Amino acid sequence: MNSIVFRFNRKTMVALICFMATLFFSSIALASTTHTINLTAETLPNGQFGYKMVSHDASNQNYPAEAVIPGPSLIVQQGDTVNISLTNNTGVPVGINIPGILEGAAEAAAGGGSQNYSFTANRTGTHPYYDEGSGLLGLFGALIVNAADGSVQSYVDGDGTITPTDVADLDKEYIMFMVGSTFWGAEIANGTQTPLWTNPVLAATLNEVVRFHVLSIEHDHTFHLHAHRWLDEVDPVNQGLAPHIIDVKILTGKADSHAFTVKAGTEVGAGMWHLHCHVVSHMESNMAARFRVDEPGAASGISVAGASPYGAILLSPNQNDPGLVTFEISDEPGSWFRSTRSDAIIDPAGPLGALNIKTRSLEVMAPGSSAHFIMSDTNAVHTITTLIWPSDADTENKHDIPFDQTKAYRGGGIVQLNTPGLYVFTCKIHPYMFGAIIVDDPNTQGLDLGEAIDLVTGIQGLPTTSDLATRLLRTFFVVTAQQNWQDYTSATPWHVAYPDVPVRLTGGAVLNLKTVLENRYGQDVVLPPLSAPTTAGVGEVWINTQFEKTAGKTKPGTITVLDTANWTIKRKIALPSINMNHPHNMWTDRNQSTIFQTQWFDNKLTFINRADGQMIDNIQIGDSPSHVMTMPNNDDITVAINGENRVVTIPAGTTTPASSIATQMPGQVPANPHGHWITPEGKVVTPNINTSDTGFYDGSSGQILARPAAGGNFPHGPHPIAVGVGKDKVYTSNLLDHSIDVYDFDGNRLKTINLIADYDPVSPTGPTTLTDKDGDGLVTAGVLPIQTPVDPTGRVVVTANTGGTITLIDTSIDKVVAMLPCDPGCHGVNFGAKDGGGYYAYVTSKFSNRLIVVDPDPNGDGDFSDAVVAGTISMADNSAATDDAVVSLAGMGGQGVLAIPNVYNGWVQNLPSEWQTGLTNAQKNAIP
Amino acid sequence: MICKIIHSARLKRPPLASRKALPECSSAPQIRFVYTLIALVLMLCTQAAFAAGGGKTHVIELWAEKIPAGVEGGNDLFAYRMAGHIIQEGATETNVTSRYAAEPTIPGPTIVIDEGDEVMLTLKHVFDPGNSASFEQVSVHVHGVHYDIHSDGTLEYINLIADESATPTMSYTYHWIAAPGTAGTWAYHDHNMITLNGAEDRGLYGALIVNNKTSTMALNKAGNLKTVSISSIKKEYVLFIGDDAFWGTEIDNQTGQQTSLWENPTLSAQQGSNVRFHLISLGSNTHNFKLSNYGWIDPGTNLIITEKVIGPLEKHVFAVQAGQSSQYKDDTFSSNSLGMKGNFNVIP
Repeated sequence: MNSIVFRFNRKTMVALICFMATLFFSSIALASTTHTINLTAETLPNGQFGYKMVSHDASNQNYPAEAVIPGPSLIVQQGDTVNISLTNNTGVPVGINIPGILEGAAEAAAGGGSQNYSFTANRTGTHPYYDEGSGLLGLFGALIVNAADGSVQSYVDGDGTITPTDVADLDKEYIMFMVGSTFWGAEIANGTQTPLWTNPVLAATLNEVVRFHVLSIEHDHTFHLHAHRWLDEVDPVNQGLAPHIIDVKILTGKADSHAFTVKAGTEVGAGMWHLHCHVVSHMESNMAARFRVDEPGAASGISVAGASPYGAILLSPNQNDPGLVTFEISDEPGSWFRSTRSDAIIDPAGPLGALNIKTRSLEVMAPGSSAHFIMSDTNAVHTITTLIWPSDADTENKHDIPFDQTKAYRGGGIVQLNTPGLYVFTCKIHPYMFGAIIVDDPNTQGLDLGEAIDLVTGIQGLPTTSDLATRLLRTFFVVTAQQNWQDYTSATPWHVAYPDVPVRLTGGAVLNLKTVLENRYGQDVVLPPLSAPTTAGVGEVWINTQFEKTAGKTKPGTITVLDTANWTIKRKIALPSINMNHPHNMWTDRNQSTIFQTQWFDNKLTFINRADGQMIDNIQIGDSPSHVMTMPNNDDITVAINGENRVVTIPAGTTTPASSIATQMPGQVPANPHGHWITPEGKVVTPNINTSDTGFYDGSSGQILARPAAGGNFPHGPHPIAVGVGKDKVYTSNLLDHSIDVYDFDGNRLKTINLIADYDPVSPTGPTTLTDKDGDGLVTAGVLPIQTPVDPTGRVVVTANTGGTITLIDTSIDKVVAMLPCDPGCHGVNFGAKDGGGYYAYVTSKFSNRLIVVDPDPNGDGDFSDAVVAGTISMADNSAATDDAVVSLAGMGGQGVLAIPNVYNGWVQNLPSEWQTGLTNAQKNAIP
Repeated sequence: MICKIIHSARLKRPPLASRKALPECSSAPQIRFVYTLIALVLMLCTQAAFAAGGGKTHVIELWAEKIPAGVEGGNDLFAYRMAGHIIQEGATETNVTSRYAAEPTIPGPTIVIDEGDEVMLTLKHVFDPGNSASFEQVSVHVHGVHYDIHSDGTLEYINLIADESATPTMSYTYHWIAAPGTAGTWAYHDHNMITLNGAEDRGLYGALIVNNKTSTMALNKAGNLKTVSISSIKKEYVLFIGDDAFWGTEIDNQTGQQTSLWENPTLSAQQGSNVRFHLISLGSNTHNFKLSNYGWIDPGTNLIITEKVIGPLEKHVFAVQAGQSSQYKDDTFSSNSLGMKGNFNVIP
C-alpha cells in the first residue's frame, strides 16, 4: 500500500539515484553509525534536575554547554547503534528509559555513580527519554531517529498538497515537552541546539518548513497550535485511504510523543499564533506558549526563551534573565508545596542556609521571574490557587492574578509574578497546603512583603502590618514546618522557628520577621499537661492521625484507636500493604463491625475489620474522597468525592460502588463536596467547596433538591466544608467565611452565624483585636471553622476552628455560647456516648498530637455555656498494637473522628443489641 | 516552478496575509520536470473539482447567550444560537436558518460547509454580563480551517493585535476559508470569556463540518472495509464529550434539519442506513469512547477499532452502517461512575 506520508518523496528518489550511481563507481555500502554519548545528570540552581551533554562522537550537533530542560536532543539515523554513558551528579538515583527501546535498565547511583546504556535505533520517529523517578523535575529529552533516506513527516501545504519533506528541507526543529502544566522548549537550527526553557515564543519566518517534536511524560495533554494543521502519524503499514489531518493531538500514558511538520503560516499569514495544551485545567494553569510567524526580515524567526532554572531567583548568580522557583506538590505533611531546592534552604549549614527560611515551602525571587508547580509527589488531584497576593498585583497582572483553576486536576502550573510582595498559594481541595513566594525588589531593603495584601475571600488592601496578615504568616510557618507543630509528648516548650530575616511591610517599615511574630504571638509556650477525663466514655474512638509516619510505607497516616474505658491507645493501623495515604474520615456499618476509611490524598476507600484492624478491601472510589457516611435508613455507604463532582453510593454489605449522586447538573462547574451529612429523612447534604453553596440531594433518587448559597461575610469564596444535622436544622461551616450557615431541611437558610464578629482583622494586634463587638456578653472567635456536628440530641453544635478554638452553638438560639481552647489546625469533631449518660465531643488537631475531649454539658442541665475540656489524651503511643512502626510525627495530623458505638440520631436506633447495652435509655433514644 | 504553478492554479482569491516570496524549489532540473508534469495533472483535477464544488460563501450570524441551568444555586451555562445562515453562490442566496434550532443549544449549531467555501461569521454578545467585567467578551475560535490573525478569536494579550471578541455593544466578524486540505470535522468555541482561555467548557462550543463532496470514506461492513460516498450518509451525529456528559445534535442529511439532543442523548437510525459520528472531546478529562457491537475505521488508517482514546478538542469521525441497537459510553472510571452513556437505537 502506498504510504501517504512518505510518497512522492523527491529526496528518496534522489537518494536512490545517488545510491545506484554509487554502486557503479565504488563498493562502499551504506553503513550505520555508532554513537558514543556521554551524558550527566545535574542539579540546576533552582533544585530541578537536567541532563547535560558532555560529548557525542559521530555527531555534528552543537549542544548547550550546561545541563538543560529538556535534555539534549539525541539525533540519530535508523539502524544506528547508540551507546550512552550516564554519570549522575544529583542526589537521587537517575536512569534513562525510552519506551519500546530501552526499558527497565539500571539507574546510576546518586552522587557520581554511572551507568551505561546501549540500543539500536530501529524505530524511526521521535521518542522521549526520561528518568523514571525524577522525570517530572526535568530529566527528560528527545531521541529523534530519522529515516535512513532522510525523509521526515510530510506537511500539508496551504493549498492542501501533502508535501513530502526531507530532513534537509527543515529550516528548524522545535522540541516541546509537555510536563505538568508547562511547555519546556528547545530549538534546533543548523545543527545548533538552543534551550528555550519554559513556555517560549517559538519563531519562524513565513513559509519556513519547521518540524515540531511534541513529547510528554506522566500526565495526559492535548497539543494544539492555532491556524495550522498537520498529518496525524500513522504507521505506514496501517495507512488508510485518506490522510488524517488534525490540529490537536493527545499525548497520553507514562511517556508519549508526536512529531509533525508544518509550513509556518502557510495561507494564514504572519502572526503571534497561540500554542497550548487544550486540557482546560492545564490551560487555566498557564500551559501555553506562542508560535510567532514573522514576515521575512532581518530579525525574523528569532525565538524567545522563557523563564529558566538559571535565572533571577534568590542567591542565583544570574539576576538578569527571568528565573524559576519550582515547588513539588507533595503528599508529605507540611511540605505540600516543597521547593525543589528546599534541602539546601532548610539546612543551616547548606548553601542557602544563611537565609534562615526554615520551611521548605517559601521561596524568594526577583520580579518578572515565575513560580512553577509540578504535581510530582502526590496521588491526589489539586488546584494551585492564590490565597494571598499583593494588592496591586491583580491590576498589574490581571490575566494571571488571582491564579486559579475551575476544577481539581493532575499536572502543574506556572505563573510569572511581576509585582513585589507576598504571594501564598494553596489547594482548594486540601486548603492547608501552602506554598509562599516573596517577590523581592532588589532595590529595596528587606524582603518585600508589600504594602497591603488581597485575600481570595475578597478582603482587599489588608495592611501587611495588620493582625490578620501577621497571623496568617504565623499560621504559614506553623503549618509548613513539621518541627513547628505542638508535641505533647515533649517536655520542652512549644517553639516556632521563624525566618530570622528583615522584611519590608506597610509604609516601608523594615522589621525582623521573627521579632515581629514573637512579639505578637509569643514564643516557647509551655504546653499544658495531658490529663484523661475522669468519667469514661462508651466504646472506642477511632482517630485519623493523618500525618503520622510509619516505617513500612512512603505515604503518611494511621488510624489511632482509643479505648474510652481507660483512655488508652489500643491499636494503630497504618496499612503498609496498600501504602495508605492520608486517612481522613471514617464511618461504620450498623453492626459496628466494618470501618469505612477514606484516603483523601488518593482515590481509595478502604474497608477495615473493626475488631482486629485487618483490611477487608481497598477500592478505587474517585479522586480525593473526603467523608463517608451511611444512610440511616438502609445502611448504604455514601462517599463524598471531594476532588470531583459527586457522592458515590455503595450498597450495604458490599464493596462495589453502584451509583452516584451528581452534585451539579451536567456541564456545570463541579461542586467538589467535602464533609457531607445525612438527614434522618435521607437527604444528603453536602458542603460544596468549589461552588460556594450547600447542596441538598435526595439520597435515593439522586435528585438535586436545592443548592442555597453559603456564607455571607466574604462571598467571594466562603468555602463551605462540613455539615452537621440536628433535629430539624442543618449547620454548615464555611472555612474562609468564618461562619456557620443554618438551614431547614428544605435548604432554606434561616441564619448565618458570624464566628468572627468579635474580631478586628485589620488593626495591628493588641487588646482591641478581640473584644465583645457583637455585644452578646462573650468574647469568642472561630477562625477557619471546620467540622461542626450537632450532638445526638440536636441541642448543641461543637465546631473545631483551625485558628485554635472550639466554639459551641446552642441550637435553641443559634448563637455561640461558649469557646474553649484548641490546638493549631483544630479540625475534627464527633460525638460519642459518655458513660452513664450525656456525650463527649472528641476534637482533633492537625498540627498537634493530642485529642481534646469536650464535655459540652457537664452538669446535664441543657445549658452549654459551662462546657469544659474534660480531658486531653496523647495520640502518640509506640506501645500499642500496630501493623507498622511509627517513625516520625507521632500522633500528628488529627482529622476524622468516629466514636463506636455510633450514637447519632438516626443511627443509634439501629445499633445491634450488644452495642446498646452500654447506653442509657436517653442515649438510645436521643430525640424522643 | 512547481510550487508557483500549484499556488496560482488553486488560489481563488489573494492570500489572507501578504507574502513576500513563494518557497523556492531546489530540486534538480530533471526532477523538476517530472513534478511539473504531475502538477499539470493535479491542476486539471483540481479545476474540475472546483467547477463541481463551486465556492460558496456562508454569511452566518451567531449569538452567544446565557441559558439557565434550571437549578437554584447552580451556575448558568452559556450557548450559541444560529441567528442567520445565508448561503451565497454566485448571484443566488439561500436562507437556511430554519434548519437550526430556534433557541441557543449545547452543542451550538453545527456549521456544515464544503471544502472550497468561505464563511463570514458575525458573533453577537446578547446576554447581560451583570456586574462581571469578565463576562463582557465572547468569541469564536475555530479549528482546522484557514483564517488570518484577525479571525483567531483570541484576546490581544495573546495575539498582540486586538481583542477579537463580541461585546455587549459591538459584534465581531470572523472570516474563515475552507481551503483545500481542511476537509474534516472541527470544533469552534469561545476563547475570550472569563479568562484568556475562554469559557469553552461552559457550553460555548459547536462543530464545523467541512465536507469534500467528492470524497469517500471507509466503513466497516461485517469486518470488511467498504468504501462509501459521503453523500450516502443519512444522518450525522455530533457528540461532544464533556467531563461529565455527552452533548449531542443530529442532522438529517436529506433535509439538513438539525435536532438538538442535549446531554447523554438517545441516537436513532434506520437499520441499514449509513450514519456518521463526529466526536469531539472538550474539558479536562481523557475519554475512552466505545460503541458496543460496532467496530469502525480509525481515521487515516485501515484499522477496525472498537474503542478510541480521545483528549480535549481531539476529533474522531467515523461512519457505520446501522445494524443493531447498541449503547455508546465513555469507559473511564469517573465517567462510568457518573453514568456517561447513551443508547443508539436502530429501527428496523
